[in-house]
Amino acid sequence: MTSIIRVEDLWKRYDGREDGEQGAAALRGTHMEIRAGEIVAIYGRSGSGKTTLLNILAGLDRPTRGLVWVEGRELDSLGDKGRAEFRRLRLGFIFQFFNLLPTLTAFENVYLSLELAGRPVPGLAREALRSVGLEGKADRYPHELSGGEQQRVAIARAVVKGPSIILADEPTGNLDTHTADQVLGILAARCRESGTTLVMATHSPRASSVADRVLRMEDGLILAEESIVGSGH
Amino acid sequence: MRIVTKAFLRYLPRRRGLSTLQLLGIACGVAATIGMVLSAQAALSSFERAVEFLKGRATHKLTRPAGPVEETVVLGLMQDPGVKAFSPVIDRTVILQDGGTARFLGVDPFLDQAIRPELITSRASMSNGSTREAALSFLLEEAAVFTDDELAARLRVRPGEMFQTSHGGLLLQGTFPSPSGEPLILSDISNAQLRFGLRGMVDRVELILSDPEGFRSRWNTGFVLESAGQQRAALSDMLRAFRLNLEALSLLALFVGVFLVYNTAMFAVVSRRKEAGILLSLGASRREVLLAFLTEILLLGAAGGLLGSVIGYLLGCFLTGLVGETISKLYFFVQPVPPGWSWWVCLYGAMMGMGASLLGGALPLKELARVDPVRILQGRGASRFQGKQARRAALWGSGMLAVSLVLVVAAEVHVYLGFAGSFALLLGASLLSGQVLIWLEPWLNLFLRSLGGVAGKLAAGTICRNLGRTAVAVAAFMVALSMTIGLGSMIGSFRETLVWWMDSQLKGDLYIAPTREIQVPEGFYEELRALPGIGGLDPYRNTQLLYRGTPVYVSSVDAKVLQRYTKFGWLQGGNENWDLVRQGEVIVSESFSRRFKVRAGQEILLDGIRGPSRLRVAAIFFDYTTEHGLIMMDRSKYLELFGDRTIDSLVVFLDPDLPGRREILQDVVRRAQVWGLPVATQGEFHAQILEFFDSTFAVTRSMRIIAVVVAFFGIAGALLTLFMERQRDFGIYRALGFSTSRVASMTLMEGLGMGLVSYALSVAVGTALAWVLIYVINLRSFNWTVFFHFNWGPYLITWATATIGSLAAAVYPIWRVWRTYPQMQIREE
Repeated sequence: MTSIIRVEDLWKRYDGREDGEQGAAALRGTHMEIRAGEIVAIYGRSGSGKTTLLNILAGLDRPTRGLVWVEGRELDSLGDKGRAEFRRLRLGFIFQFFNLLPTLTAFENVYLSLELAGRPVPGLAREALRSVGLEGKADRYPHELSGGEQQRVAIARAVVKGPSIILADEPTGNLDTHTADQVLGILAARCRESGTTLVMATHSPRASSVADRVLRMEDGLILAEESIVGSGH
Repeated sequence: MRIVTKAFLRYLPRRRGLSTLQLLGIACGVAATIGMVLSAQAALSSFERAVEFLKGRATHKLTRPAGPVEETVVLGLMQDPGVKAFSPVIDRTVILQDGGTARFLGVDPFLDQAIRPELITSRASMSNGSTREAALSFLLEEAAVFTDDELAARLRVRPGEMFQTSHGGLLLQGTFPSPSGEPLILSDISNAQLRFGLRGMVDRVELILSDPEGFRSRWNTGFVLESAGQQRAALSDMLRAFRLNLEALSLLALFVGVFLVYNTAMFAVVSRRKEAGILLSLGASRREVLLAFLTEILLLGAAGGLLGSVIGYLLGCFLTGLVGETISKLYFFVQPVPPGWSWWVCLYGAMMGMGASLLGGALPLKELARVDPVRILQGRGASRFQGKQARRAALWGSGMLAVSLVLVVAAEVHVYLGFAGSFALLLGASLLSGQVLIWLEPWLNLFLRSLGGVAGKLAAGTICRNLGRTAVAVAAFMVALSMTIGLGSMIGSFRETLVWWMDSQLKGDLYIAPTREIQVPEGFYEELRALPGIGGLDPYRNTQLLYRGTPVYVSSVDAKVLQRYTKFGWLQGGNENWDLVRQGEVIVSESFSRRFKVRAGQEILLDGIRGPSRLRVAAIFFDYTTEHGLIMMDRSKYLELFGDRTIDSLVVFLDPDLPGRREILQDVVRRAQVWGLPVATQGEFHAQILEFFDSTFAVTRSMRIIAVVVAFFGIAGALLTLFMERQRDFGIYRALGFSTSRVASMTLMEGLGMGLVSYALSVAVGTALAWVLIYVINLRSFNWTVFFHFNWGPYLITWATATIGSLAAAVYPIWRVWRTYPQMQIREE
């Protein structure tokens, strides 16, 4: 299987102060390779650099040093416009706090993704909502939905355009255990059905359990590849 | 509509309260400008209508340089080959029974038919069919007059009924429609001559000329021939300084409005920043996000502009009366009709709202374009305007203040540079506001902590560490407050100067017929001259004439009397200047001297009844009666030059230690009453002038209030922005045990703190503005010196405005605190 994401010697430092003095490093020479269709969990404690890595993979943030290839293209070379196009067409993003637009209904939030991708087909949005079990709730606004339902809308929004990669940042971090299991099940199932690569940042062993591979991250470095389920957590 | 745009637009109805506040902010800025423009337009079009209506078909008017024309000129006009038609006119003003005034026109109905046929026709048609009887009565009955429809309705008189005026009772024969808006009374010319004591005289002759140049060559000695265009231009020129000042005032309100739009747009950016972050993370381009935001602020601008146009229209209707009243008092009668409603007003309002939104939204758009989705999605705000930017802004501000100084000095070239200098002063000071907030932080901290403890301390920190929001609001409020101090100090200084001028120049014991509508018969003057005990009588005459083609005023006085009883304010020398006036020289007002660059010792050329005369200027005196320039001469010289015996008012002087002084004054009053002449004591006359002075600043006061209201929305918007932006901080406060009332008191302290800093800044800026208004704008616009008099009044009023305004601006944000703070969490979701 070919690699869809490749990361080499990735560093990210944040400016700490107004005077420009460099602050702490969130990533410190990370290497990683993910194959197409894989479900990978990046497991680590809060502050270990998972979110920074995902932001760089999404082209939202830029590394201080190092290279990222996605689908064979070096991300930094795409430019701001190219990276926005990449997110619009090839990438789905799921956040811990759902990040639905509060002024749009569930249907409109999903349809927005299609519109940005240049495929404004309402039927696809309805189908995506049905596939996450939200038929009948299409016209509800985010504040009228439970946390689990909001995250399912976010999943529908991510999968509806048929991206090659979905990045999920703590997708169950804000949900109770039962709902988290449901959401994870739906997300993993949708990705396996469509052959979409799923990279999920999590600090939850339960979330890691649905992954094909778990990459352990600590202090800005991917330390080891391990099976969380097998390690008895 | 694209979903991205829809997502932004739906915020507007969802946050109704906030949207309404934003909308009102834009609406107020637009309303101020539209209101001022509409009222100025209404006044001008009323003036044009009145001029057109009364001019009729006349191409020229013939007058003496000053005073009335002998009726005998009619014979010459009848034989002149260049005259197609002519009509002699008596044109006076009378006071009506309801206290108002009306223009009294005496015309020859037969001759006037060629000049104003519509008036004659409509007048006849209004006499209820009995045309012949009405026409006969009009000619034969001494009291018979026609009035315009509105005047008859206002006085509630019908044809056949009498009504009273300052010049006796009049019998209404009929009415006519008049588009001029000015109350008109029409009488036969011979009856008018009798009524005004002008036997054998007329005020002017209106002409239709076939050969103006030929006519001019034949009538060039002792007469003034003005074309209709010249008359209109001369009258418009009289309004020039007044209009310029009105426009500058409305621009100042708009200036404050742009700050407000900035605040509003920045507020919208703060509320949409997270959505922008989400959209960018989903792959929306920055262009799409900016377009969505632009659509939102343009829609808000258009809606605010539409609302503003309606409010502006209503404001225009209100201001029309004030502007008309002021023009009538200062220059000539206009009775502007409130502007008619037009959908174009809406279009202009919407365009202005959108334009202001674009201007004020430019920097917020820039901030939105720089939104870092990673920071936003992590719940961190955009980088805040801090010390470095404040220093940079202060540097620009200092540069702008230097530019302002240069402009103010260069105002000698043109008054526009003075106005530009004032704007540069306000803009420069606004740019300093961030740095001033940093400098004042320790003091503000001390003050607010003493008022509100920890809440006060936090409030001071919030104000001084969120400069991107607070500095702009403080600047907007500071500009409005500076306007209040600047204009207040200028008006106060002007008033004090006027009091000094009256105390030195208007020292008569009694003023007979001090209003311009009533003249003093020469017989009464002679009667008083014969009265024993009177120290001096000044038969005052003031009339307009043309000097170098522009209207100025000429006054005749008794120089000997004024030398003895008054102490004029002279630019050079003292009362010995009157010696030269008594020898036939003239004195000119400061405004005349500055306007025409004439100095003492130079000669001026005036057209008199016997042709041009060279007059030496003996001295220059301070005068505040007209900005167009005043030439004062002894009555003997005036009679020699113009042959005009009219006396506008009579001033009676008595020696202070004269025995029986009171009885003599009572005797004069009684005699004046017999002649039907109003009398005012010195105190009453001074009070009338001050009342008149105060009423002429009504428009200025209105604009000042509007600027404060606009700035009030600015402070409220800034407080709300701060509240929205610090939701996370509030969550922390709540977790730390801050009660709702303490957070509410913190918000109140923030409002108060911003108000106080704005006030502190405005004390300095307002004083500087007052100085520029007095020594640059006033001097250049009106050509007279106003002396700066420090007065606590404007500073105290502004302090109260700042305190009340800032506290009131905190009311809505506090309501939001009470409503939402108890549910706030550290995390937003």
